[in-house]
Amino acid sequence: MAQYRTQTKIIADILATARDMNTAGDGVGITTLLRKGNVSYARMTKLIADLVGNGLLVEMNIEKNSKYRISDKGLSFLQAYGQFEDFAQSFGLRL
Amino acid sequence: MNGLLMLENALQFVGAFVAFSIAIVSYKGVKQTRSSSLLRLAAAFVFLGAGFMLEGLAGFSSVDLLPGFEVSLTTLLISGLFLETAGYFFLAFSHMLDVVFDKKMGVMLALFPLMAINQSSLAVVLTSLSFYFILYGVVETLFAYSKNRNPNTLLIASGLALLAGGWWISLVSPDGLLLNIVQLLMKEVGLVTLFIPVLMFSFTKKGGWDGPV
Repeated sequence: MAQYRTQTKIIADILATARDMNTAGDGVGITTLLRKGNVSYARMTKLIADLVGNGLLVEMNIEKNSKYRISDKGLSFLQAYGQFEDFAQSFGLRL
Repeated sequence: MNGLLMLENALQFVGAFVAFSIAIVSYKGVKQTRSSSLLRLAAAFVFLGAGFMLEGLAGFSSVDLLPGFEVSLTTLLISGLFLETAGYFFLAFSHMLDVVFDKKMGVMLALFPLMAINQSSLAVVLTSLSFYFILYGVVETLFAYSKNRNPNTLLIASGLALLAGGWWISLVSPDGLLLNIVQLLMKEVGLVTLFIPVLMFSFTKKGGWDGPV
């Protein structure tokens, strides 16, 4: 059964994809983020805009295509998410 | 008996310390992840901590350790109980939201403690409500453990169960030295168990989020 994901979990998933799939160092396209993030296109574009606005993702324009890579702030977020996910899970809750 | 009362009151301050520690860690989590689950957890433990403190103060004033508080003893006690009930409500509410969002088979307890129906005292009603909310928290935490198999979740469920047991004893048998000692021990061990995740969080350095599963 598919499990409900909180907004925080979706953001962590997107950031982790931007971190892990950026093997060539030239960023990750929105198609990859959509495939791994498992949210609709409309919601993804809004989330990406928020993440870029908050400095968690960095937008790179390569050959007229927008690509994204995770920022240092985004990496810190993932670090904190990992720690607090365990803490919340101890109380039977999800982040 | 007076010594036992003193121990019980001191325990309220231990409870306040544990609750505020959990609230602080949760609040740090809110600041870093903006998680609403952690916000509710922080709110729950702020209420619990404040409740424990007020009840401890009320207890010490009842055994003449804090004579200045004598006049407002009932107010202190009822306020403490009210805050504690609010804390347990927030704890249960977090699980309720999980049930609603996940559309899972939440185990909604229909057994409202009969003590609340038989007695009209506000303190007894609040105590009964607290017991009901902790019990709901126990069941939902055990349900979460059945899914995540995280040993810490089982620890928290055991801690909450011990607290619930302590509450239950104080509800069904408010007098009796032996039962009072058992009740105190249950609450003490329950509180220490709740503190374990805070200790583990403070001493464990973890890498980070591994990514989408």
